[in-house]
Amino acid sequence: MRSPVLPLTWHLTRSSGRRGLQSHLLAAGAAAVGAFVMLVIIAATLGAGTRADHTTWRTPDAVPAKQATAVQALATTYVRHEPVTVVSLAQLSGRKQTPAPPGLSSFPKQGEVYVSPALAELLHKLPANQLAGRFPKVKSYGTIGTAGLASPDELVAVVGRTPTDPAVSKAAGDTSSWFDMAQMERAEISGFGGDTASMFTAGDQGIAVLGVVLLAMPVVVLSAAAGRLGAARREQRLAALRLAGATPRQIIAMTALEAVALGAAGALTGALTYVASLPALAQVPFGVGTWYVDTLWVGSPWLATVVAAVTALITVSAVSMLRQVATSPLGVAQQANPRRTRMIRLAFFAAALAVIFMFSGGGLQAEQAVALLLLFYGAFWLFGPWVVDRLGRLVSRFAKRPATLLAGRRLSDDPRGAWRTVSGLVLAGFAAGFFAVSLLGADTSQYRGQVAVTTGHAFEARHTAAEARTLLHRAGVTATVTTGPTDAYDNLLGGGSGVIAHVEGGQEQLDTAVTALTPLGAGRFPYGQDYAGGSDKATFDRLDAVTIGTLALSFLVAATSAGLTAAANVLDRRRVYGLLRLAGTPLKVLDRARVRETVIPLVVLAGGTTAMGAYGSYQLNKAAGATINTSGAIELVVCVVVGALAMFAAISGSRPLLRKVTADPAQTAD
Amino acid sequence: MSTVLAGYGLVKKYGSTTALAGVDVEVRGRDSLAIMGPSGSGKSTLLHTLAGIIRPDGGQVLLRGERLDNLGENRLSALRRKRFGFVFQFGQLLPELPAEENVALPLMLEGMARRQAVVRARRWFAPLGLDGLEQRRPGQLSGGQAQRVAIARALAVEPDVVFADEPTGALDQRTSTEVIQLLTSATRDTGAALVMVTHDADVAAHCDRVLQVRDGRISNYSQFTVA
Ligand SMILES: Nc1ncnc2c1ncn2[C@@H]1O[C@H](COP(=O)(O)OP(=O)(O)OP(=O)(O)O)[C@@H](O)[C@H]1O
Ligand SMILES: [Mg+2]
Repeated sequence: MRSPVLPLTWHLTRSSGRRGLQSHLLAAGAAAVGAFVMLVIIAATLGAGTRADHTTWRTPDAVPAKQATAVQALATTYVRHEPVTVVSLAQLSGRKQTPAPPGLSSFPKQGEVYVSPALAELLHKLPANQLAGRFPKVKSYGTIGTAGLASPDELVAVVGRTPTDPAVSKAAGDTSSWFDMAQMERAEISGFGGDTASMFTAGDQGIAVLGVVLLAMPVVVLSAAAGRLGAARREQRLAALRLAGATPRQIIAMTALEAVALGAAGALTGALTYVASLPALAQVPFGVGTWYVDTLWVGSPWLATVVAAVTALITVSAVSMLRQVATSPLGVAQQANPRRTRMIRLAFFAAALAVIFMFSGGGLQAEQAVALLLLFYGAFWLFGPWVVDRLGRLVSRFAKRPATLLAGRRLSDDPRGAWRTVSGLVLAGFAAGFFAVSLLGADTSQYRGQVAVTTGHAFEARHTAAEARTLLHRAGVTATVTTGPTDAYDNLLGGGSGVIAHVEGGQEQLDTAVTALTPLGAGRFPYGQDYAGGSDKATFDRLDAVTIGTLALSFLVAATSAGLTAAANVLDRRRVYGLLRLAGTPLKVLDRARVRETVIPLVVLAGGTTAMGAYGSYQLNKAAGATINTSGAIELVVCVVVGALAMFAAISGSRPLLRKVTADPAQTAD
Repeated sequence: MSTVLAGYGLVKKYGSTTALAGVDVEVRGRDSLAIMGPSGSGKSTLLHTLAGIIRPDGGQVLLRGERLDNLGENRLSALRRKRFGFVFQFGQLLPELPAEENVALPLMLEGMARRQAVVRARRWFAPLGLDGLEQRRPGQLSGGQAQRVAIARALAVEPDVVFADEPTGALDQRTSTEVIQLLTSATRDTGAALVMVTHDADVAAHCDRVLQVRDGRISNYSQFTVA
């Protein structure tokens, strides 16, 4: 015998009317948002890894001198504050031909210069005495293909040289000051294998993972809210079906079927939106710049996984919600006992904080930091409902107005539900508070306007200084040139020998000075403040981008789920709201109660954790003697305010629904 | 006793359906009126019209001589809150609020301080046989208990008229009798009038008068002589 479940589900889904259609669309829309956000952040994570892989050829693994076929040196020079990666390559004579590096068709011959398209454009745009003069003169530049580049915006040059050229000499690889770390390398090589990514891409994936961690929970909550929205509407109909003799199992099967169909349709839409917006997403700069479109393609297994996961979440949520209806005809809104939360949650939270405090003293490995972050999140996940419960009791004890009393009682009646709505923002708020106000890294402002040229020996410095003055004068740059005292470790030479030019004028003058002084560097580029702060900037810029990006997406997701939850709550309670309205209760009171129910825990918890994060970061920074990132703090405040407004708007979005479902006395009263 | 609430020539149409086709009713203080009739005959429509929930297409509704049917929505809403009490079939209590706060809610809406409102609300519990249930939530009450809490809430504002639409529709026979006795006697004690829609003749028998409605018209009007 054929089961009646399938045709019956189809019939009921189709005949569920306009309101039914609306909530189908809302639920599917939520699934779409969830799948889209998840795919975007996974794409960023995987893409960041791919990008890093595209830079490893610039620092290939060294081989023993006997097996080496070429010498390779990496250098970094800055123009207009942007890093230009310069890879010098020299074939050793009498050795086997070295294979071509990625992005090039053959190993560069001496005197050849290959540049990335972005660098080519810049070379064209800027006067030669500001940039082109730093490279060997050539008739035309070759082009580095995408295989050798992380981003279309990357500035990279490959220069072919002789093995005796100072640019590939041992001195060129002498990383004497800590500024040189990861910005300068030299190796004898036989190919371009290796797994050291460039400084500008190496940390990106780890930081993107942070975004995944921060966004996963809000997306789960959103999917759950979507599932619940469908269930609230189905409740009445299925209770009626049950009275008509359908078994609970059949009812659950029908719900599951409907939820799977809705969830899959929504998640697929989200996935297609992701695919369709790949070209646009690729234009969003992160780290080294915008993306190659194929870098952001996650591949069909990931696509399928995300669609399946979102669908499963929605289905599980819909079914578990309906289980209660299927087993008790009284329905969900009539739950008898408030879901109490126990003290043990507080104890666990305190213990977790103690552990975090104990371990977070000294220098942390990245893995340890992530583990502590996860522990903090887990603890907070348990702790949140407890706080909401207490908060609800506190509010209802001191409430004077009916709306506040109602909101307070609602909070302690279902603290987990209320926590779910705000949790994403609370946790994102903490991370955002922490990172947005985070360290700027070492302060390099004392190097402003300086250009340093290193010399091999101290006695050369005086001679070099004289040459530098001549070159700068010829280039039209006004500058005072000093020889750096070798015992001063805190100047731009970092204790090495050389000269420092204090350049007057703006960035153009500095770039001109660097270009003019390049011949003096014995294969090493002159450098300035940007070089000194390069490594810190690479890290903190990324953190900043991910923090703000994650916060913005969290708000999008959290506002969507708050809106859905608010709509589902109205539908759940339409009878009691309708009857109260008939009895003359102003709709305003009911509406205010709804808003306060979300806004109170949001302000207290999200505000609290954001402040906690900012404070923690401030303390750390003070200990490290670094300055506070004020622009980050302002960004944070703007983000929080905009997000809170979005949340508020999302909740208010269900006001017409509240008005509508309570408007018709005949419908509610019968 | 003078007339508290009256409807004259009430007409209400929904498209081609005529729910009320010219009904006249008068209710005096302490008077209790049962409205009976087959399903779809217009009972609820009549009750809603008298209570200022639905605006009639024709006729007038008068509360102590003042017309309601031409008041604005906000005035009507305030009037229902202050001068009327309502008891519905089920599901009218807010599930998160303890019973006493459900009863105190209309008083708080009128601006009474919360503490005072709760003290006032508690006074209703003993007379309605709800002693000790003040802190229970609606979900923890039986159907009959929940209806008695609803009665307490309707009476707490000391209304002129209590409207009840099938107040015992979801209860069994015995509980139904208990609840209806409490409803009629408590309403009479406060001096309010009672207008009640019911299917159940036994329930209607507790009222002073019974109005039979059929196709939007009064088909029969009987007066019980209550001892
Ligand atoms: N909002 C509405 N829109 C359209 N028709 C309505 C509406 N409300 C009531 N009606 C119609 O008006 C008539 C009277 O309805 P009413 O609800 O007053 O009946 P009733 O006597 O209370 O029935 P029951 O005993 O089933 O509750 C019915 O034919 C009904 O279909
Ligand atoms: Mg009716």
